[in-house]
Amino acid sequence: MKKIDIGTAEHAFFVPFEKFRQLVNTLLEEYVVIGPVRKQDTTSFEIIENVDELNLDYEGHTKIPPKKFFLPPREILFTYRINEKNVVIEDNLEVLRNEKRILIGIHSCDIHSLLIMDKIFIGEFQDPYYRARRENTIIIGLVCDKPADYCFCYFTKSGPDITDGYDLLLTNVGNGYLVEIGSKNGLEIVHKHREYFTQAEKSLLEEKKKKIREITDKLKSRGLPFFDTVYSDMVHNFDHEIWNELGSKCLACGKCNYACPTCYCFDIIDEAEPDLSSGKRIRIWDSCHFLSFTRVASGEVFRAERSSRVKQRIYHKLVYSVNHIDLISCVGCGRCIDVCSARIDIRDVVSKIKGGG
Amino acid sequence: MENPYIPKIARIINIQDETPDTKTFTIAFADDKHHFTFSPGQFIELTVFCYGEAPFSISSSPLHKDYFEITVRKMGVVTSALFRLDKNDPVGIRGPLGKGWPIENIYGKDVLIIGGGIGIAPLRPLIEYIIANKKKFGNVILMYGARTPQDIVYKDEFPKWSKVIEVHMTVDVGDETWTGRVGVVTVLFDEIDVDPKETIAVQCGPPIMMHFVTKNLKQLGFPDDHIYLSLERLMKCGMGFCGKCTIGGIYVCRDGPVFSYREIRGLLEKAV
Repeated sequence: MKKIDIGTAEHAFFVPFEKFRQLVNTLLEEYVVIGPVRKQDTTSFEIIENVDELNLDYEGHTKIPPKKFFLPPREILFTYRINEKNVVIEDNLEVLRNEKRILIGIHSCDIHSLLIMDKIFIGEFQDPYYRARRENTIIIGLVCDKPADYCFCYFTKSGPDITDGYDLLLTNVGNGYLVEIGSKNGLEIVHKHREYFTQAEKSLLEEKKKKIREITDKLKSRGLPFFDTVYSDMVHNFDHEIWNELGSKCLACGKCNYACPTCYCFDIIDEAEPDLSSGKRIRIWDSCHFLSFTRVASGEVFRAERSSRVKQRIYHKLVYSVNHIDLISCVGCGRCIDVCSARIDIRDVVSKIKGGG
Repeated sequence: MENPYIPKIARIINIQDETPDTKTFTIAFADDKHHFTFSPGQFIELTVFCYGEAPFSISSSPLHKDYFEITVRKMGVVTSALFRLDKNDPVGIRGPLGKGWPIENIYGKDVLIIGGGIGIAPLRPLIEYIIANKKKFGNVILMYGARTPQDIVYKDEFPKWSKVIEVHMTVDVGDETWTGRVGVVTVLFDEIDVDPKETIAVQCGPPIMMHFVTKNLKQLGFPDDHIYLSLERLMKCGMGFCGKCTIGGIYVCRDGPVFSYREIRGLLEKAV
């Protein structure tokens, strides 16, 4: 994603709702289009066949983050066949490299989470599967104007405003979308489908700013501590009594890991045909809350106590991540709070640790 | 870009029994031109096709470029499947991975090598390297402990090693054949004479052993950066992604598996 100057009037366009629908239908001819789709009482990111499936007015966040399109819950890395004493490996990577996808309607928290995952998977070591999926996907972000009850992106500095990590950014301005350009790829889409867009009036950019201010004020009034300043308190409270409390509450179900847009830990397993003539190497999501997560061949489990596993996830988000990539990896989406059957709330944990009480 | 998840095909060219549950496998790449270079202390990920992949320390001398060895105790699915393979059977190899022993820091110094059980496997490349380059090192002492005399790995090599370096051995539980020391490896500390300021200690063994060995070394006055440990954790991807081998935010596969005690003593989670 090549960065260009953004947020200027010449790089801002307007598209009325009806034209936007036509645009999406046109894009569907060329791309696999992924967007928020309503499913019973929740919304989730799915591959769509028709623009009518899109639900761009969703509140806050989808139940499962869009990470599943970059790090799928289960994916075949490669397959192999064994003939006599020879093994032939077939890599699944080429398929991914040839795909063209567009992800529409992703909010600032989730865009931030992808930028965090990029630092993990496209750093000194590179994960070619993640990278291929990132490179084959255009990101059309959407300014979130309906933060949900659990949202706290303002306190993790990952929303509601967003200035990086998208190719195009949509803001609902009543009768259509303000479209801002975030990259060369984004600009190319607008140029290629210029008939749907008009140059945006400066007033629309003002309207967006006002909108962001209103959402910011709404989030601000929730009065939480800033997460990024919690680092040293966390470091000094590794033995705080709260961890034992949480250890006895936690069900160790791993739902928070699956719902978290920046939890990326995984396991690798092989699945073989019954006649052992061929097999698959498979990557599946794992959870640091599972007892098996740290079990080595000798049977030793390095995080046997549940409290140590509750700690692992929260320390990874707020301390280890800072050591590793210089950023906390909580984006304030609130999904882990939403899904937790034991009502463990990372906001309370941070408040208690910060308050020292 | 080469895909780091794809193993290279190699073949088992020799299998040697070490103990009733431990074997050393010699492995060479199917493509003979592949020169395998590694640093003592590094590991590989080995695939037994249709069963899975697991990490193993490289246990052979780094001076051999056309093959390498791993010493394996039969424990789980992959190791049990590996034990059923024969000479010439194919396996998959990724690596070498991780950071090994800090050989440059050891040049000119005395070396105290402490191994427990099969934990001597990642130390064997270092021992072989030191023996081949003895002039670059000062006095070298090896302390080795095993559960029983039967569990001693590399039995045939200790006599050879003891011609060049000082070797001390013990077993937790002796038998009628055993005339040596009995007790955990730390009992051997009373047999050795080291100057902690001039000596680098390197160790690998069960976590409980490394915990007590480190304690002993500290009592002897070893500075934290004169103590090195090879840690065992579940290293699945080997590149710092999968998260299973982390200790207090460091990745054993990527940042280790060899660490100085200075690097790990202050971690929030206890490493040893």
